[in-house]
Amino acid sequence: MQSTADRHLTFAAWLLIPLYIVGVVALWAAFLHAPTERVMGEVQRIFYFHVGAAWTAFFAFFIVFVAGILYLWRRNPFWDEFGAASAEIGVIFTTIVLTTGPIWARPIWNTWWPWGDPRVTTTLVLWLIYVAYFILRSTLPEGEKRARFAAVFGIIGFIDVPIVFLSIRWWRTIHPVVITRTGARLEPEMFQAMMIAVVAFTFLYFALLFLRTAMRLQNNAAEEMTHIVRERSE
Amino acid sequence: MRHLKLIWVLAAKDLRIEYRSRQAFLTTLFFAVLILIVFNFAFDPGSASTRDASPGILWVALLFPGMIQLNRSFQSEMEEGTLQGIVMSPVDRGVFFLGKLLANWLFLLAIDIFILIAFVVFFNFAVEPRLFWVVLLMFLVGGGFSAVGTVFAAMVSNVRIREVMLPILLFPIIVPIILAAVNATREVLIHNDFSTLGRWLQLLVAFDVIFLAAGFLVFDYVVGE
Repeated sequence: MQSTADRHLTFAAWLLIPLYIVGVVALWAAFLHAPTERVMGEVQRIFYFHVGAAWTAFFAFFIVFVAGILYLWRRNPFWDEFGAASAEIGVIFTTIVLTTGPIWARPIWNTWWPWGDPRVTTTLVLWLIYVAYFILRSTLPEGEKRARFAAVFGIIGFIDVPIVFLSIRWWRTIHPVVITRTGARLEPEMFQAMMIAVVAFTFLYFALLFLRTAMRLQNNAAEEMTHIVRERSE
Repeated sequence: MRHLKLIWVLAAKDLRIEYRSRQAFLTTLFFAVLILIVFNFAFDPGSASTRDASPGILWVALLFPGMIQLNRSFQSEMEEGTLQGIVMSPVDRGVFFLGKLLANWLFLLAIDIFILIAFVVFFNFAVEPRLFWVVLLMFLVGGGFSAVGTVFAAMVSNVRIREVMLPILLFPIIVPIILAAVNATREVLIHNDFSTLGRWLQLLVAFDVIFLAAGFLVFDYVVGE
């Protein structure tokens, strides 16, 4: 009989195979298959990693929302650890989005931080919300109460995202829009590279999710054991 | 009917305590006035740029003191053990949420009026012709702010560093209402342009409805057990 943690470790291990294959293909597609953009040059290739990370980050926060609802409904501590693991990965990928974005934007838009773009600013607010999620977790002692509060915050945070996006878009359309993303269509090779990057990042997400969930469950089990041993020795 | 009466009983309790001590009211009002004065020192008073920034300054002065009040609203419940009493009484948790929310909302509106007077004095603004719209904005912003704030205040009342925890949780979530409030106020007071006002009011109403419903549903999990 395998424990839940072991089972998730096995999932993660199995995912390493497709992750490795798709990952190599994604690198090939991004650096060799896709042509160099005529105007932007090589820096445009960061786009594939940027989009892959952005998609994964949004998906990860959706999973936090779902895990929050499942926790409040079923009261199974597993969903708390699962949600927290997903939030961790979401924050990491949002950080990647917020770093790759300015690296590209500086030479292309001539600004590190385009406040006018609703996607950029929404991602920033998203990052703030889920960093706050971890600050909240860190201030509460481990247990049922922390799980409940984290679930509630994860649900409220995710509901907020579309409203944030809408408000930022309205905020900027009222004032002159300096920078807009051109509606230029992608070359077929570029589109392929983007889709492969999205698939690769999704595999990476699930591998990390199962790995982190397993680690969190094992950590809890180890703490419980220490507790029992300490009690018996007294 | 019974629910409405219960909501009012719960809200009236908070407001009565506040009316008798006036402690939170005076300290938050003093804090708001300080913010207005400090911003005048930070910027050039009377200049055109400060005038353009004044809607933002007004909303900082309205929301920061509101945060202090939210923190207090559960602190006294914890200290006196009334929270346990209310949770154990046969009152629906949603009703408890609405009572708490109503008290916070009314307190915020009461203090907002005084802050607005101080704002008019310090920034030499003719608010009177647009008073209806500014008060309407205060009403709608106060609703969303108190709805999310009441849930989070109940959560952080368990935490050691609640004074700093509440703004960390609350500010990222209320970004939409800050944007709506500041922009709508700027359109109404400075640009005298009502074309986008409806849109911001819609956003505020939507935010209020969504988070009133969300707060009503999740409050049980926040104060329960």
